[in-house]
Amino acid sequence: MIRLVTLDAYDPKVIDRLCKVLYTAFGVGCEHAGDMSLPAGQHEPFDAQELLKALPSPRAYADDKILYLTSRKLKPRSVISGEVPCSGFANQNGPRALVSSAGVKDPEAGLKQIARHAMHQLGHTWELHHCLDPRCAMYPPWTLPYDGGDTFFDTFCRDKSEQRIRLAKS
Amino acid sequence: MAETAQALTLAVGDRVVYPNQGVCRVTSVESKEVAGQTLTFVTMKREEDGAVVMVPEAKVRSIGLRKVAGRADVERVFSFLRSDSDKANLDWKQRARTNVERMSQGGLMGLAEVVKGLQVLSELRPLPTKERELYDNARHLLVAELAASLHVAEVDAEDSVDLVLFPPGRERPKRTAEEFRSAAGDEDGMELGEDLLELGGEMDLAPEAEPEEAQAEAEEAVPAPKAKGAAKGKAEKKAPAEKKAAAKKAAPRGEKKPAAKPEKKAAAKPAKKPAAKPAAKKVPAKPAKRK
Repeated sequence: MIRLVTLDAYDPKVIDRLCKVLYTAFGVGCEHAGDMSLPAGQHEPFDAQELLKALPSPRAYADDKILYLTSRKLKPRSVISGEVPCSGFANQNGPRALVSSAGVKDPEAGLKQIARHAMHQLGHTWELHHCLDPRCAMYPPWTLPYDGGDTFFDTFCRDKSEQRIRLAKS
Repeated sequence: MAETAQALTLAVGDRVVYPNQGVCRVTSVESKEVAGQTLTFVTMKREEDGAVVMVPEAKVRSIGLRKVAGRADVERVFSFLRSDSDKANLDWKQRARTNVERMSQGGLMGLAEVVKGLQVLSELRPLPTKERELYDNARHLLVAELAASLHVAEVDAEDSVDLVLFPPGRERPKRTAEEFRSAAGDEDGMELGEDLLELGGEMDLAPEAEPEEAQAEAEEAVPAPKAKGAAKGKAEKKAPAEKKAAAKKAAPRGEKKPAAKPEKKAAAKPAKKPAAKPAAKKVPAKPAKRK
């Protein structure tokens, strides 16, 4: 089950549509688990890793994935080979993911883009690595063609995510 | 590799890399009696999922167990990934053999070579399923070892690799077989060139085959005397083919009719001419059964 937690105000229609897209992509139920406020002591642009650590978890089962959605900007992450533009964050095989819709002016019109990033981060929580197919949502999100792409997993990523979901304990 | 393997002494708590399995931590080194022999076993726990592996100490070298790569190895890997080595072997057999060797014996650099090679190849054409799986495995092992080596999270290790392989703001290059052919010809000389020519031959087969078909059609259309001299060989080749075709045409007719007739006859006139019918049915019925 995917539990979507909003950290800012969103139109319920947008949330409904996003849940539908995620349900279609993963074949797992997705529901809005409520709103939360951003933790104190952190300022925009947020460090995605720190923000994710500081956020409290809603009530969920062991294999549930929690997706936090915010409209605030995230700071680029510095790694050994440079700075990674950051639109979200999730640990490999972790239970929680964070996605920012800061780059999208109108969430209703740019829902596809938000959903694609959400799919990408949730994919990491199901142990998916970056993909070679530019059409796939698991393609590195900082590349040029990424934001214009569709909410789509290529065959390999879809099969792998389905396998991981099937192997879930609960 | 051999030198490092020879010098490998393992102690409890060491982090090692088991080829094709990933990063493991040595949990114990103990002697056990197995079938009357006393053997020293190294017990390791895979960090990813906690799977336990026991290896006789004498086999540690031969299976390619090694310590986690150091800083210098990591830097070499990144400089390799950054380099414009667009070389990819287009011969799938050679490629598969090399990649399997790299995965099992190539160390961290071997994994990087597999990842980079397949990534470059994917820019020419989509990878087949087996290679896509291999790519994913190689990437998983590479990321896990880099994370262990740099003491960072796997997600950071993966992003640092991909930042080099897929630089921000760069369009995905579209490659052609000619690029690979020329790159291989420049660097490896004749051997790869020949392989690539083979592949080129395969790729060019479709356009070559079309003129042949067109010629054959033209020959059929044109009166026989013209075609005789030029296409004797073809005519000879065609002759058995035509015979086969004729035989095929004849065979199904021969089979269908008897197969259809007995049913109809059996249904319509079961009592008339009982002696002649079974004889007519039996002959064609046998080949049909064999097929």
